[in-house]
Parts: sequence; structure tokens; C-alpha cells
Amino acid sequence: MNIEITASGKPFVHNHSAHCESGVTSALFRDQGLDISEALVFGIGSGIFFGHLFFVKMVGLPITTFRSQPGAVFRKAGKRLGVKFVTKRFRNPQKGMAELRQLLKQGQIVGLTTNIYWLSYFPNRFRFQFNGHNLIALREIEGGFRVSDPVLEHPVDCLAEDLERARFSHGPLEPHGLMYYPSFVPQNPDIKKACIKGMKDTCNMMLRTHIPIFGVRGIRFLAKRIKNSPQKLGFHEACRHLGNIVRMQEEIGTGGAGFRFMYAAFLQEAGELFQSDELKQLSQEMTAIGDIWREFAVVSARIIKQRGKTEDTFDKVYDILMECAAREEALFRKLNEVVRKLKV
Amino acid sequence: MKVNEVPQDDVPDYSEGIKKGNYALDDQGKYVMVPSKGWDVDELTNRLAFNEYKAKVEETRKAVLEGKKSPLAYYMELRQMIPKFLGKTAGIATFRVKRHLRPEIFAKLKESVLDSYAKALEITKEELKTVPHNSQER
Repeated sequence: MNIEITASGKPFVHNHSAHCESGVTSALFRDQGLDISEALVFGIGSGIFFGHLFFVKMVGLPITTFRSQPGAVFRKAGKRLGVKFVTKRFRNPQKGMAELRQLLKQGQIVGLTTNIYWLSYFPNRFRFQFNGHNLIALREIEGGFRVSDPVLEHPVDCLAEDLERARFSHGPLEPHGLMYYPSFVPQNPDIKKACIKGMKDTCNMMLRTHIPIFGVRGIRFLAKRIKNSPQKLGFHEACRHLGNIVRMQEEIGTGGAGFRFMYAAFLQEAGELFQSDELKQLSQEMTAIGDIWREFAVVSARIIKQRGKTEDTFDKVYDILMECAAREEALFRKLNEVVRKLKV
Repeated sequence: MKVNEVPQDDVPDYSEGIKKGNYALDDQGKYVMVPSKGWDVDELTNRLAFNEYKAKVEETRKAVLEGKKSPLAYYMELRQMIPKFLGKTAGIATFRVKRHLRPEIFAKLKESVLDSYAKALEITKEELKTVPHNSQER
């Protein structure tokens, strides 16, 4: 167990999480007395998603996202659970840091959105310009802050300059010093109702979006692009793009397969909550889909490593992704039916 | 993914001991959190991106030593930035940043401009005027 004492003298339990934002959200709620798991927060906040943003470039490569936009999980989960919360952005870094110090002094722990490049407690090879990493500031210490970064196993120290840079970095999806914390958390919220809302929203986002780069259509869109990429970009460049997709999936914010497994964990928990066998079955199906995503990563890695000398080709990657899309579509359609039958 | 399927590959120079949380099914079919030491696939794609980044930095460093680019270009690459975002961080217009990547223009810059670049790139002003003679990390 990792217990830290916050400025208010309250113990704070640091839990190792799979995803930064859902981890931060569940820890913030837990700190205020609402015991809720990371997976539940992830499901209620509709954290699962897919999008291939071919026009947003990070180091010259398009962004593929397997989760909803940063900040959405906290906002949605908070709203659906009846939590009153404060979110704040700043223009002036000094003001942003002063306000953070002020809040910490009052004993409030604060969620922050940061750029992972400037957080020096990460190993060098993890550090890249990405403006969507979430962590919790626990209290001020000499020269810095004690922070609980949910993707790490233990709380760490962070230098004040580092944190300031990380909060006010520039680039795609600028955080503008975003900080958030709940001001009121209900002790007995209607978790079932919140779960239903979250699931419905997820189904809508994955199935009913009109923009073909998001949701299940987005997976198919990406599959087609990958299939055509060797002709379009040349083999080497296509490998670079493929490598980047796998990197986005597995490394950045624990990745696509990771999110699928987390959603399966949510469906399992929801299944127990509602006493619904159908949800439990869907959880198993989601696990199977997560395994296919992992296979996609393994096959892609083999292609990149062996430079086309095996039978693994871009066509095979296409087939795997199309299977992912088909099975996810079936799953969310089923979930859409099941969720409407659930009783609050 | 079952608990025993969570990858535990040894990739010490990549993860540096940091363990990633993974959701996996235990024997009873319940989801539990399992810390993972690392995964080769993960490491491979990261290495690909990291080597590309290092090669780019090294290439820029050589170009600076040959007098084709200004040291600013090197530090911009080192910080994984592009002129647009470096300009935003330093409070200097993008087109000016692009001009400053040329050595002859960079040499004539005012101290105050150098100051804001140094601050944005988290280096000292003296460092900004030259590049290291041997390749280095970060």
C-alpha cells in the first residue's frame, strides 16, 4: 500500500492504474469518500473510443486515439455521478501555480493536465511532447510538489519548474494549466443510473458518429489506410506509420488493447452491479476483442522487424483490423440493446 | 488476457524499472490489476521512434557544426519542438523563429531574444550559442 499524507492531514492511498485520467478521477473521488474503482469511472465517463486523426500531426505522424479526448472522463463521470467540480484554465503561468499552491495549502488535492515531456521523473524514452497526461498534486514540498502519478506504482516528487513547464506547455491540445478537483461528492450516488448513461453514450460515440474517422467507422478507415500505405508512402515510411499506431496503442496512455481490457473490467463490474449475465458475456467478448488488438500489435511489430520477409503483410493487418471493427460493432450494438433493458 | 499472459519481458534500458498497470483475468475469471515489467512490442515501437528522434538531433547537430543551421535548430530538435510551438513558448512569431534557424541571422540576435529562447528551451544563454561537440542525450 502507498499511503501519503496530504496537507490537510488526511491519508491518501495511491493506487496503480492502467490509465492516467480514469486513475486520477477515481482517486479524486475516493479522497472525498466515494469509493469507486478505476474501471467504473472509465465506463461511466465513456472513456473508450476510437479515432484516427490523420490531419493532426505529432512529430510528423498522424494521431490515432483509442480513448476520448483528455478531460472528458473526469467531466462526464463527475456529471453523471452528481459530483460538483471545478475546472480552471489559466493564461498566466504564475497565477496558475499560485492558485495551485493556495489550494494545496487548504488541503485540497488537485488533478492537473500536463505535458509528459517536461516531467523528468519519467525515463528518457517515455518522454515526448504529449499534452494529455494527468496526475494529482498532493502537497507542496521543498522545491517542488509531491505528486501521485497513477501510471506509476508509487507517488513521486516533481520539481516546481518541471511542473510549471508541463502545465503551460504549447503544442497540440494545449493544457493551459488545466486543473480540476471535486468540490462536492455525494456519498451515495446512483451508480447504476450513471453506468447506463455512460454505456449509452459510448454506444452512440462508437456507432452513430457521422464523421467517418471516429468510432467503428474510424477503425475501418484506418484499416484501409494501412492497406494502401505501402503503395502510397513506400515500405519504409509505411512501417514508420504502422509503428506509430502501435506505439499510440500500447505505450501512450496504456493503449488500445489496454483500454479494451479496462472496458471489459467495467462491463464485468457493471454486470455484477445489475446482476446481468448479458453484461458479463459482453465483458468476455470485449476481452476477446482486446486480445485481437494485441495480436494486431504483435503482427505489426513483426512486419516492422523483419522488413517484409515473412508472410505477415499489410493485408494481414488490414484483415485483423477489419475483424476488430466488425466485432466491436457487434458488441456495441448488443450493448445498446442490453442497456435499454437494464433496470435502475 | 489472463494474468499469466501479461507480458513480463526484460527491457531495462527502456522502462527503467517502471511497471505498467494491466487489466487481466485471474483464475476465477475476475479482472485484476497486474503490473507488467515491459513488452518487447512496446519496446520495439518506442525504439523506432526514439532512434528516429536521436538521428534527427544528431543530423541537426552536424549541420550546425558545418554552419548550415543555427544552434537554435539543434535545441529545437532536442526538445522535440517545431517552429510553431517553439515560437508560442518563447513568445516569438513563427516566421521569425524560422528565420532564426539560419546561422547568419541567429548570430545577430539581440540578447533579449536569446533570453526568451533560452527560457523556452530550458537551457542557459551560453549553451544556446553553441552545440555540444559530441553527441549527447537530452
